[in-house]
Amino acid sequence: MITININEKEIRLDKPVTVLEAARTAGIKIPTLCAHELLEAYGGCRLCVVEVERMLKLQTACTLIAADGMVIRTKSEAISNARRSILEFLLINHPLDCPVCDKAGECELQDLVNKYGATAGRFKEEKRKVPESHEDRIFTRNMERCVLCTRCVRMCNDVQGASAINIVGRGGRSRMEPFSPTSFNCEYCGNCLTVCPVGAILSRPHLHSLRPWQIDKEVETICPYCGVGCSFVVQVRDESIKRVIPRFGFGLNNGLLCSRGRFGYEVTGSQERIKVPLVRIDGKLHQSTWDYALNLIADKLKDIRDTHGGSAIAGIASPRCTNEDNYVFQKFMRMACKTNNIDSISRIGFASAQRYFEDLLGQGITANIILGLKNSDIILVLGGDPTAVNPILGLSIRAAARNGTKIAVIGNAKGLERFKTLRIVPDIFKEAEVLEYLLTEIFRAKGLRGEKPALDRKIEGLSGKSLKIDIAGLAELKDVLLSGGSVSIVLGMDVVHRSRGHRILFAVAGITYLLEARLYLLSESSNEQGLIDMGCVPDMLPGGRPLVVGDFKKRFETVWKGTIPEKGGLTLMEIIEATKDKKIKVLYVMGENPVFNLPNTSYVKEALKSLDFLVVQDIFLTETAELADVVLPASGWSEKDGTYTNLERRIQLLRKAVNTPSSADDWRTISEISSKMGYEMHYPRAEDIMEEIATVSPLYKDLTYDEIEKGNCLWPYNGEPLRGVVSEIPAAEETFREYKEGLYLAPEKILFHSGTLSRRALALRKICPEPTLKIGTNHAEKLGLKEGDNVSVSTAQGSINVQVSIDTAIKDNKVLLGNNFEGRGVFSLLNYEIDPITKVPGIEGCEVTIEKI
Amino acid sequence: MFKETILKEIDDIKARYPDPKSALLPTLYIAQREFGWLSHEAMHVVAQSLNLPEAMVRGTASFYTMFKHKPMGRHLIQLCTNVSCMILGAERLVDFLKNRYSLEPNITTTDRRFSLVIMECIGACDRGPAMLVNTDFHDSLTEERIEEILEKYK
Ligand code: SF4
Ligand code: SF4
Ligand code: SF4
Ligand code: FES
Ligand code: FES
Repeated sequence: MITININEKEIRLDKPVTVLEAARTAGIKIPTLCAHELLEAYGGCRLCVVEVERMLKLQTACTLIAADGMVIRTKSEAISNARRSILEFLLINHPLDCPVCDKAGECELQDLVNKYGATAGRFKEEKRKVPESHEDRIFTRNMERCVLCTRCVRMCNDVQGASAINIVGRGGRSRMEPFSPTSFNCEYCGNCLTVCPVGAILSRPHLHSLRPWQIDKEVETICPYCGVGCSFVVQVRDESIKRVIPRFGFGLNNGLLCSRGRFGYEVTGSQERIKVPLVRIDGKLHQSTWDYALNLIADKLKDIRDTHGGSAIAGIASPRCTNEDNYVFQKFMRMACKTNNIDSISRIGFASAQRYFEDLLGQGITANIILGLKNSDIILVLGGDPTAVNPILGLSIRAAARNGTKIAVIGNAKGLERFKTLRIVPDIFKEAEVLEYLLTEIFRAKGLRGEKPALDRKIEGLSGKSLKIDIAGLAELKDVLLSGGSVSIVLGMDVVHRSRGHRILFAVAGITYLLEARLYLLSESSNEQGLIDMGCVPDMLPGGRPLVVGDFKKRFETVWKGTIPEKGGLTLMEIIEATKDKKIKVLYVMGENPVFNLPNTSYVKEALKSLDFLVVQDIFLTETAELADVVLPASGWSEKDGTYTNLERRIQLLRKAVNTPSSADDWRTISEISSKMGYEMHYPRAEDIMEEIATVSPLYKDLTYDEIEKGNCLWPYNGEPLRGVVSEIPAAEETFREYKEGLYLAPEKILFHSGTLSRRALALRKICPEPTLKIGTNHAEKLGLKEGDNVSVSTAQGSINVQVSIDTAIKDNKVLLGNNFEGRGVFSLLNYEIDPITKVPGIEGCEVTIEKI
Repeated sequence: MFKETILKEIDDIKARYPDPKSALLPTLYIAQREFGWLSHEAMHVVAQSLNLPEAMVRGTASFYTMFKHKPMGRHLIQLCTNVSCMILGAERLVDFLKNRYSLEPNITTTDRRFSLVIMECIGACDRGPAMLVNTDFHDSLTEERIEEILEKYK
């Protein structure tokens, strides 16, 4: 126990902390400038000086560690004088242009000068002149205002790990700068911007558009982009979001954000929003009224249901909609439309993988806390770049690497290049072989665990196969995994959407099981886990209760007052195929764009065109909505209340921030149609839906918004998970395909975009305006391609033109293209083959030709 | 990127330290030798060969005034004009260089033969004025002696 005395107040400390921290916990304020709670102490600005008895000079509280018996004073004339002088020094070169600085009103320098004086300074010398830099797309740098606290640099280096900026020059000429304005490996997280205490780094998207005090309201909500679910605060004025600001010390992201979260907020304010229902008349979409559109849908659905049965109807739910939306959607499908044909785009990755692992290893196996990654000794990353798909989770991996955790990468994870301990690059599409090899080696070294017989049997069976693989680094990887530390596995979906993806999933499950590893699944959309928990899958009811278990079904039927159809439904691609065969006649799509987001676009389009009736509920007129018979406007993320469940299975509240009169909550629209069809659903508020979920879903038992508001609503809350696992692991006939030396096209998840939503966010569009084809150095050389060349990318499915970007991290025969930009998404060029076990459309092995144009 | 032999040289330097960051200053010297000065290209290559962030390389390099931050002539003259040398006539030598070679402080001659940098004390106060030409040290300078010395640097 350490006892110190600050301003005559006795403070007891359990462990040695800095005097600054000790003072803070005791409620004593010490002014600071270079200190920040997310950053290591730096001791650069000297504003935090305090008097310590028996120490000759003033001491900086942010670096001084409290020792037993210290007597400290934070206020005295000498201290005030020192602070005033320090501020005077800072003002020597400061332009004193507060009236035109966006930071005024929330500037730490302004506040300090206001408090301690030295408003102008006595220095008569010329001030240093550095022209304000507008070279960057997003940031304005004004180095005359910079006080050289280095918070931005420490943030970018030590926390974000991008190391994109630094202090250059020295002495009075020091300033913060990127390497060069044109070559700037910035990740546009904006975390530097939020820690800058002055107006030296400003965001161009709202430059000179707003004063910090001109805000109508601040609403704490959740980021709509990825499965991490970062908390932040949106500032609203005139019913429009002006900016997103973080809250340090709150949420699992603790104030950090990525580019999408920070700059992607303009989406719902886009001019392209649909404002009124559209109905197809004579082949064209025309504006209509809500009444007419809803009646039309209800009549049509009723008619098809009664003449062809519920199996002629299918629904596609959305991992971007809230739990409440999705719950109501599946209930509507099952009870009003009498069908279990419900699936979502998550089938392509997350939903399938999640289901497979739970079947083998038990429910909740993927519910692991992101911050826990820091405590692992070894992190194995495969199937994607966590720093691009789930950036804030990626930061946890980088932080772990800094603390000495070994990071092993299989394949490509560009954002971890400087952080990895080792990386192996399997031959093209041969990850399964590599993982099976690792699994059998781990089995040989450690033996079976004997807890899950089916799994044990299959692992043993696998070890009979002779596996000869010769890849640089593989032996080392094996040794690392077997070195005895705690292992976390971070799995991206690039290895799941394979025609034999289940082999990879099995091997990962086996390794997880034998090493007792923690498993994390990367999740591209904000509510993929919630979607599954809400029962938007063809064979499970809310709470992951299998449809085939009569008892569960009965329980739901009692609450829902009706019967749930017996027969399990079709999965995503099966729905599309059944549509093409005219077995499905009506498709109801909520917040999804299958035409753009599924492989073999022309086939999907054909299929949707052969429908009798297509309903699309969305905020934009998407490629799918353009084919619809009725399009209903929906409400976007900032316009509704609800909950999201993130990839670690944390339930968080989404709060309505702006009122857009033309928007309508998805669940409200659907309940209305349902009632019109004779199955009554009435929920006054989103909260009332959660109340029902909490009664029916064993996983969300007794959950209320109040409870969620308190934070930390994590798996499994009060609920009981089902621990049963399958007794027989499904196997499929193995097929082997040899891949020739050619080039293969694969999807890329890029940091700055997220599907088709983000292309409507102006700031993100500025950061990344164009799709680019990523190609490795070798192949670029072979094809004579330079950075920025225009090429045509052609596969059997079609051809598109994009620019080339050379990526030194790509070491295999893959070229990568994202699925974000209109008319130029990678999925339009890919074909698929369904994995017989997971039902995932496998999209690998699509040969591609690239020609310069 | 650097040639194989130079990469080898850098590898040898890297091997001396547990952390590649420690190899940064010596590698910057190599880059300066190869590129003539620390251009963005040179710093980019250094960053790549040490797997360090470019901004860190530039931040470090820019701190040191003894690196060349702009293109220089073939020979770099570093002349001391600090107190002792000044008293012993260094200022006259600055004028002499200007008149004789059109060489002014921080300037490179048009034929790119010489660049001149004015230095603080280089530790030869008892034998001033003193200068460095590249890495060679010369003291007790007079106008004649300077001319004589510089003749050797073509
Ligand atoms: S936005 Fe992020 S990556 Fe870019 S300079 Fe700032 S902290 Fe670094
Ligand atoms: S730009 Fe801002 S955060 Fe960075 S050193 Fe200057 S004042 Fe500090
Ligand atoms: S990491 Fe995901 S949830 Fe967090 S800000 Fe980025 S996109 Fe949003
Ligand atoms: S806050 Fe302590 S020195 Fe800056
Ligand atoms: S003053 Fe010139 S060498 Fe010391």
